Amino acid sequence: MEYIRRLFAQNRDIVADICKHDPEFFAKRANKQEPHFLFIGCADSRVPIETLTGVAPGEMFVHRNIANQVRSVDLNLLSVLQYAVEVLDVEHVIVCGHYGCGGVKAAMGDQSYGLVDHWLAGIRDTCARHEMELARLGDDKRRFERMVDLNVLRQVHNLTRTPIVQSAWKRGRRPMLHGIVYDIHDGLLKELVMQVDGNDRARELLTTQRDSVGG
Amino acid sequence: MRLPTMAGSVREDAPAALVVFLVALPLCLGIALASGAPLFSGVISGIVGGIVIGILSGSQLMVSGPAAGLTAIVVSAIGTLGSYPAFLMAVVLSGGVQIVLGALRAGVISYYFPSSVIRGMLAAIGLILILKQLPHAVGWDHDFEGDESFVQPDGDTTFTAIDHALHAIEPGALLIAAVSLALLTVWDKTVLKRLKLLPGPLVAVLAGVGINAALQQSGSNWTLLAEHLVQLPVASSAGEFFSFLSLPDFSASLRADTWRVAVTLGVVASLETLLSLEATDRMDTHKRVSPPNRELFAQGVGNALSGLIGGLPMTGVIVRSAANIDAGGKTKLAAILHGVLLLVAVVTIPALLNSIPLASLAAVLLYTGFKLAHPRIFRAMWGQGWKQSLPFAATIVAILLTDLLVGITLGLAMAFAFILLDEVRFECFTVTSPPGAVLKRVQLQEQVSFLNKASLAKLLASLEPGDRLEINGSSCRVIHRDVLEQMADFQRQALERGIDLRLVGIDLPTPPLGH
Ligand SMILES: [Zn+2]
Repeated sequence: MEYIRRLFAQNRDIVADICKHDPEFFAKRANKQEPHFLFIGCADSRVPIETLTGVAPGEMFVHRNIANQVRSVDLNLLSVLQYAVEVLDVEHVIVCGHYGCGGVKAAMGDQSYGLVDHWLAGIRDTCARHEMELARLGDDKRRFERMVDLNVLRQVHNLTRTPIVQSAWKRGRRPMLHGIVYDIHDGLLKELVMQVDGNDRARELLTTQRDSVGG
Repeated sequence: MRLPTMAGSVREDAPAALVVFLVALPLCLGIALASGAPLFSGVISGIVGGIVIGILSGSQLMVSGPAAGLTAIVVSAIGTLGSYPAFLMAVVLSGGVQIVLGALRAGVISYYFPSSVIRGMLAAIGLILILKQLPHAVGWDHDFEGDESFVQPDGDTTFTAIDHALHAIEPGALLIAAVSLALLTVWDKTVLKRLKLLPGPLVAVLAGVGINAALQQSGSNWTLLAEHLVQLPVASSAGEFFSFLSLPDFSASLRADTWRVAVTLGVVASLETLLSLEATDRMDTHKRVSPPNRELFAQGVGNALSGLIGGLPMTGVIVRSAANIDAGGKTKLAAILHGVLLLVAVVTIPALLNSIPLASLAAVLLYTGFKLAHPRIFRAMWGQGWKQSLPFAATIVAILLTDLLVGITLGLAMAFAFILLDEVRFECFTVTSPPGAVLKRVQLQEQVSFLNKASLAKLLASLEPGDRLEINGSSCRVIHRDVLEQMADFQRQALERGIDLRLVGIDLPTPPLGH
């Protein structure tokens, strides 16, 4: 109970602080949102994206699940994506993975965790598809990090295949898709693939993944 | 309901033809008189309009003949061309103009006569009949029969003529008109209506003739004199009648004036015919549709022929058509027979025809007028909302206070203004984004016409800086070039005003050089 109370206390402090600088801050945002970004990230508590990037309330539409998955049957994600793209008209959709991701790690091992195994089936696929490349990497840490990168690229690719993104691209080069990764060790964001804004760039995405087989 | 055939409808068509003939005779004479043309020119026109156009026309009920709507043009044309034979040449040529119009399928314009204007025209003609025939009913026969203009050739207006007439009532005329009207009402409202061979108007006219004969027998000073009766020149023999025929002055065809008159006549007569055709089709209980281009051809042939033998120009005419329908006419046989009757009766029994009191005919026309301008029609039009009732009312008032052509033109202008207004207000797009969406998305309809520019301009004007709008034209088949240029302008404006405008599936035209 003590922890919960702390949330309320901190909330009051923060609001007071914001209102000291801009008394209209919340009133201005109460009636509309026009975010520029849709952020699809991991549910991991160590990835507080708003804090890390300094975006203000109203700037980023957020969807998070275990291991930042984009699955064509996930009604939750598809609803978020459709609303963000077709109603909020976001310019950027970001898939963000992070090193040290428990979901990716679980998918790479043989251990069973129950229900979440079903959720992670896609990552197991990716893992199998890149088995040779991963095997060539010397140590487990590098293999793990490479797998986090590959997972992000896979999810960006999945995004490009959704009817929502396809029909949006038919009307113009928007939204732009980005794949990034967050390094929980130093707190920095790293670009993996940027500005995928059409099917031509989407095809490059697949070749990039294949090219990296050698590296 | 089976469509009537000529062979099967003789019992209805023959009496109707007789009624139309009785109504037509004074009209033919009156219009000739008003046109400043030889008296028989109207009858010739009536004969050709009945027989020739009757045979050629695709309409079953419309009657053609000399038209009051053309008198103003005829009077000034005879003056301009200098002689009646020269004018006849113009009539012949106007027939050619109509045949060409028919070949060019100009008749399609009749599909664009707004219903409110046609109904207004019918009601106005009904009111005119009532107002113009009231003086005739009380024995004030100064204006010519069939006049439809507000300002009459005798210097009176429709209303001052009624005023004059009421101060100079002929008791004999009033008696005959009253009895005729009573008979018409009784015939129309009772089982007597079933007497197909003896329609009400015929009874009314016969009664009028009988009453006047009785008055004359008794030596009453109520007896109507010749000026209150049909006044047909009496030809002593058929040969003398045919001497009334005259040929056109063919040399006039070399003058530009003649052609100018011919084109005016051809166009105006065609317009009046098409209006009458549309109106007559509306009155047809069998809802038969008459082909307009074939009608132009028939009218062209009729006018050419009429001009060749000395007759006035003609059009389809509403009063005679309405009388035809009222008297039970079913097929074109009635119109043809009325022409035959004009030909035969005028040659053989002119003296008998000259015993018909104009007051009786006035009663017949008053009754026809009342049917055309029945209060039920006004109530129905009022119920259709102001976009219908306003052009309807405007047409009526304008026709009553000017003449048919001016009135119709005004009515058409107003009706088209409303139609255009609707078209301009019509939104040529559907909004596909949910309300409150950051990006407003609209889908253009399949066809975007010039008239849709206003709704698009309104759409853009409704935006504020920072708004986002996507206009999707990917399902358009046609976008008018002016609309495309408008979009290009939109894009420039949007940029200046800080509006995020995205055009999808719209190929903007390359601006002309120097732009
Ligand atoms: Zn994670």
